[in-house]
Amino acid sequence: MPVEIIKERYNAPVNTVEIGRPGAKQVKIGGQTGFPFLFDEGKMPNPPVIAYEVPDCTPDDWPEGLLEPYHDCVKDPVKWAKKCADEFGAEILCVKAQSMHQDYGSRPVDEAVRIVREIADAVKLPLIVVGCGDDERDNEFMPKLSQALKGENCLLGLATQANYKTLAATCLVDGHFIIADSPIDVNIAKQVNILIGDMGFDTNKIVMHPTTTSLGYGMEYVYSIMERSRLAAFMGDKMLAMPFIVFVGQETWKVKEAKDFGVVQGINWEITTSVAMLQAGADLIVMRHPDAAGSVKRYIAALTGGVR
Amino acid sequence: MREFRVLFKPQGREVSVLQGTDIMTAAVKAGIMLAAPCGGEGVCGKCRVIVDKGKVSAEVSHAISDVDRQAGIVLACQALVESDLEITVPGESVESHECLSHDAEDFAGGVTLRSEEAFRFSPIVRKVCLELLKPAAEDSTSDLDRITAGLKEKVEGLRLSTKLANVKHLSEVLRESDYRITVTLAYKDGALEILSFEPGDTTASSFAFAFDIGTTTVAGQLIDLNKKSVLGTKIAFNKQAMYGSDVISRIIYASDPEGLERLSAAVIGNINEIIGDLASAHRINAGEACAVVTAGNMTMMHLLLKIDPSNIRKAPYVPTVSVFPVINAAEAGIGISPRGAAAFLPGVSTYIGGDIVSGVLACGMADSDNTTMLVDIGTNGEIVLGNREWMIGTAASAGPAFEGSGLACGMKAAPGAIQKVSIDKNFEVELSTIGGVPPRGICGSGYIDLLCQMLKRRIISKDGRIDRGMDSGRIRKNGANYEFIVAFAGETAIGRDIVIQDDDIENLKRSKGAIYSAIIALLNKVGKDISEVKKIYIAGGFGSYLNIENSVFIGLLPDIERSVYEFVGNSSLAGARMALMSHEAFDKAVEIHKGITYLDIGAEPDYMDEYIASLFFPHTDIGRFPSVRL
Repeated sequence: MPVEIIKERYNAPVNTVEIGRPGAKQVKIGGQTGFPFLFDEGKMPNPPVIAYEVPDCTPDDWPEGLLEPYHDCVKDPVKWAKKCADEFGAEILCVKAQSMHQDYGSRPVDEAVRIVREIADAVKLPLIVVGCGDDERDNEFMPKLSQALKGENCLLGLATQANYKTLAATCLVDGHFIIADSPIDVNIAKQVNILIGDMGFDTNKIVMHPTTTSLGYGMEYVYSIMERSRLAAFMGDKMLAMPFIVFVGQETWKVKEAKDFGVVQGINWEITTSVAMLQAGADLIVMRHPDAAGSVKRYIAALTGGVR
Repeated sequence: MREFRVLFKPQGREVSVLQGTDIMTAAVKAGIMLAAPCGGEGVCGKCRVIVDKGKVSAEVSHAISDVDRQAGIVLACQALVESDLEITVPGESVESHECLSHDAEDFAGGVTLRSEEAFRFSPIVRKVCLELLKPAAEDSTSDLDRITAGLKEKVEGLRLSTKLANVKHLSEVLRESDYRITVTLAYKDGALEILSFEPGDTTASSFAFAFDIGTTTVAGQLIDLNKKSVLGTKIAFNKQAMYGSDVISRIIYASDPEGLERLSAAVIGNINEIIGDLASAHRINAGEACAVVTAGNMTMMHLLLKIDPSNIRKAPYVPTVSVFPVINAAEAGIGISPRGAAAFLPGVSTYIGGDIVSGVLACGMADSDNTTMLVDIGTNGEIVLGNREWMIGTAASAGPAFEGSGLACGMKAAPGAIQKVSIDKNFEVELSTIGGVPPRGICGSGYIDLLCQMLKRRIISKDGRIDRGMDSGRIRKNGANYEFIVAFAGETAIGRDIVIQDDDIENLKRSKGAIYSAIIALLNKVGKDISEVKKIYIAGGFGSYLNIENSVFIGLLPDIERSVYEFVGNSSLAGARMALMSHEAFDKAVEIHKGITYLDIGAEPDYMDEYIASLFFPHTDIGRFPSVRL
């Protein structure tokens, strides 16, 4: 008796988001109609993309092995960005504007904006920019940055439930995409999306950050939250139909298993975490080590039949 | 230690207390009950008094602004007497003893539920007049047997019993009254107990009381058993409030035997005052009333009867008693006829008490083929779902927000409470208060209206935060909070702005979320859809008014056909009255208590998810609220 393989089919796709200046290099994510890499069940028109993280000042908290590939540019974020673009073949960069934070020396906001603008001019790649995490500083920084990058159609974040209005308003005016942040909770993720939408912001221009973790630190919970969220999207919930961005580099390189047992284990930790995130439905993965990023890119290419 | 005199104005009462006594205690001694929702912990800032003359010592409290401190305002619970004092007690600091309002009174007394007719009139205590044949040589049966035989002709064939104390003077009573006596009988556990014998026919005076003992309010009704009617209703605030506003703080207070004694005395005081007031208002002798039937939550019943409540708050949350014996009123200190009966509606568990069983009885849920639901919106939002075949109940920790507690300008449904609010597009506020007097604060129904209006005018976003950018003289920053001014100081009775703050909205959002999500989780548990529920009875201390439309708008209640909802007010009191008027109803309550399965909703895997989803206005899943347009 032949065994019939049951195939789940859904009608509602994940939103497609295309980041970057029209006419220049762009990156397209989302658009899938089924769970990752199950090509018999749904389409995956835009394979997941790896973004390279570029700190805007020397990242003192990165372990030595991770800093090694960037040894010649740790003090120069523009050079760092160019290296990612030219040497590592990055398609998109994620600038972390942490220099404004008091822990990193409280760089003046205008100067932080200027540095990001210089990166944009130097690499001509689509950009993701996230603030330093201090609401007050970020609310001063983001409007200025947004204006400075007008036309670049960047992805800016993070908009949280407690602090989304400034960022949403500024992205709305300057045509940028926005990262909606939530603390591993489907409901709160949806609530932030609704709140941003209530400001007149086009919810098709939102990318969700579900908050993730590193391998060994509760991945299964993160996985189930992302899966539930995605399932709701496939079932037609427009308020959860946004692509996911996850910051694997940041999550991985702070755990002892990645930091303290040599760079090879660290790279593998970053790779494994990323692969798990891909299976959970991540569309945009921000990574740190170029070797890890390269491996994950090859993995995606292998699974998607070498699309890229 | 020295003794000082403390004079309270405007009451003009003076008491002597030892140095170092706090002013709150002195006020209690003077018979003035100050508001103390926090139980005198110095947290809530509601017991403000003004020191006009004399010296007090008090630590600096964050609850009092510098300006107020300069003006001599202190917290009564924190300020210690250090000299002779003259104290002015502002009106808003006094716990109101008054009836909540005429509206509330009419409502609590007037609500007649259809099921009230469902039980045959046969009160739990009844008087029967007997005219007996005198003993003679050929008829030498004992006095008691003579009475028993006489009763057999008048009452149904139940077993009869009595107590020794009763019969000691029986021969005297019989002979003095020429064998015409009135026997008072009480139904107890399927038998009839003779409570007392009185000479002559006293059946013309046949009165009893029904009570609902709530954590916040105590409501009592005087009932004429001959006329089968309610003569009057009285509502007062539970005097236990001065020992803490919620059940947990009172259970802690009761852990000391003296504390238990005080709490019991406080509520018995409430009961006896209401009995006294109603009796004198209707010119009856309270000492002749023959029964009291009481419904209340588990903690209230334990405290009233001085039963140790400590395990109610300790896992696995077991009450000492759930079915309370029928006792002599005198045993509990209740001021009716000493041989009168006091009966208590049985509870299900720690979280579903006799008040809810009483409500289920009053709404006729256990006799209905249709599946119906009772939602009691209070600190513990109890919910019971079912029909004549099955019943399931749960309690959601909603918090006291809808009772006006724990909010910046919250108050109970008492005169001066804002209970209706509308806001126009220029943010002008129109409001009405209970009693039509200048506002003193906002009560639960006022908050529901307020949230609804603020959402409609976009003063708050769907997650309940006040819009920081909105250009209005009514919105301002206050510390870490933003606040919206509902009534300016000049319009109020308290001389301060009445506001709603971000934190208040957060509290209310959690309360409404807890109740809504418990309703849904309970339905999910039994695999029912809300559309299968034919009637939803809403009970709670909202006074006379609850806007169902607005309650749906903020996501407190599911968005279904509005006619399914019926606001029943104090269904606990209605059930107690029914149990008083018909022992069959009382028996039914015992049956209901056995028939309700208690579900610990917090332990259900999907509850937390439901709860988080409901922390949004009206709900994260807006598809569940099709009638709400925001």
